[in-house]
Amino acid sequence: MKRLLVVEDEEHLANGLKFNLEAEGYTVDVDENGEAALHRLTQGSNRVDLVLLDVMLPGLDGFEVVQRLRAAGSFVPVVMLTARGHTDDVLRGFEHGADDYLPKPFDLSILLARIQGLLRRKTWLEKDSAAGSSQVPDEYLFCGRRIDFARQVLERDGVAQPMTLMETTLLRHLIEREGHAVSRRMLLEEVWGVRHDTDTRTVDNFIARLRRAIEDEPSSPQHLQTVRGVGYRFVANPTVAL
Amino acid sequence: MVPGEVRRRKVWLVALLGALLIAVAIALNIGWIVVNWRTGLLLLVGIISFAILIAGLCFNTAFLIREIRRNEQHNAFIHAVTHELKTPLASITLYLQTLRQRDVDSVRQQEFIETMLVDAARLQSTIDQVLLAGKTGTARRVGNPTDVDISEVVDECVTVAGRRHHLVNGEVQVVSRLPDGEEAVVMGDREEIHAAITNLIDNAIKYSGEQVKVAVELVKLGARRVAINVRDQGMGIGSDELKRVFRRFYRIPGALGLRVRGTGLGLSIVRAVARRHGGRAYAESEGSGKGSLFTLELPLKPS
Repeated sequence: MKRLLVVEDEEHLANGLKFNLEAEGYTVDVDENGEAALHRLTQGSNRVDLVLLDVMLPGLDGFEVVQRLRAAGSFVPVVMLTARGHTDDVLRGFEHGADDYLPKPFDLSILLARIQGLLRRKTWLEKDSAAGSSQVPDEYLFCGRRIDFARQVLERDGVAQPMTLMETTLLRHLIEREGHAVSRRMLLEEVWGVRHDTDTRTVDNFIARLRRAIEDEPSSPQHLQTVRGVGYRFVANPTVAL
Repeated sequence: MVPGEVRRRKVWLVALLGALLIAVAIALNIGWIVVNWRTGLLLLVGIISFAILIAGLCFNTAFLIREIRRNEQHNAFIHAVTHELKTPLASITLYLQTLRQRDVDSVRQQEFIETMLVDAARLQSTIDQVLLAGKTGTARRVGNPTDVDISEVVDECVTVAGRRHHLVNGEVQVVSRLPDGEEAVVMGDREEIHAAITNLIDNAIKYSGEQVKVAVELVKLGARRVAINVRDQGMGIGSDELKRVFRRFYRIPGALGLRVRGTGLGLSIVRAVARRHGGRAYAESEGSGKGSLFTLELPLKPS
């Protein structure tokens, strides 16, 4: 059974979420502040499969929680919930390492669908690597870099660097379409599973993060190329391809 | 960097620039006097022009800083109101969708309905607060004053506040009333006075922490004025904050302030209501952690 953590200081929302998630068959824990959640996630004995994180928390806010979580080496999928619906806030959430984002008030079915989507993607990454059924093997090597999709790790010059679930999924999606340009819209729909409610700059933000991870010079990318007016393209071996 | 920090740095840059310009102007002024002290009339004209220039610069700098501060507070207010409106709305939406989509037993249903009612009341109070702030912030005097019995209003406010915060064991009490047979009648707007007293009691409860103990007193100050004192044993207020807390949008900064919900309008409404009735509002505290005393003073109706 999947275990979810709800981090929300508003008691009513926390109870409502817990009721619904338990009705969906998840085990649910609730923490009402960021410190408690961080402690549970980094030192707790139970493995948490997904975190629903409110932004406006007393003490540490949601942005800080997700940032510290990533810094502590935990790459559990995080969905942020917030009353602050500005694009800048959304981008800030992603910048700090969130995987998905929903503005309050949210639609229950959409929330459940997003949670399922993230959990499925995670299982899919893990299972694919176990069964070896994907077009791209669990391990992908290019130009001295090695990506382990199951463990969400990028190895470069012998240094292992963890990636978030969405970073891994996005990179895998682009690698599977190597050499072909994929539009931002398509990436949003196929990787994030969202249609109209998220800004396409979300994608740009993740690409920027991936570039910092895999490019020698993130400002003049060789592997994750921008295709003007379209979107992005992955090129494994730029000297051969072009 | 946090946006607040960026803004604060900008404020200081502007302030520094203003201060530098003022210093340069003063230096030039003195230099100019030293060079031209012989030519009388020119000297006078020059001194006056420089004085105007310096005054203008000072005014400009002060104005800029104030505007930036105000803008900052306004943003914080928009933020707080957004949160105060969207959170209960999100909760109500969630429970309604739950009731629509799932089979919920009747006990749970009742529980959900209670929750939604509490959220609706929270929405209502935020909306009332914003509307009242708009109303009291514009006109200077109460529109159609009527006789308001303060004892009655105080009792009502205490009962309602206790119920709303689920305090049933006398955590909020009227500890001192007027002597039997005496009454305190104020010419004014009952709704506004009610809101002002409610705001004081709500604050006392909200900033009390775990142990709520709020004492409300009704005291006559001579024959002309009546005071409503609201005393709590909560977090208290630093001496430099005592006046600032009445400013519109102002909220005490720091971790403890963050844990309390609010829009930063409450005390500014209390002050505006006091002024509109020809009275005043003020706070006293022995410092952080030592509780505080808020007083609303209103003039009595001449008998």
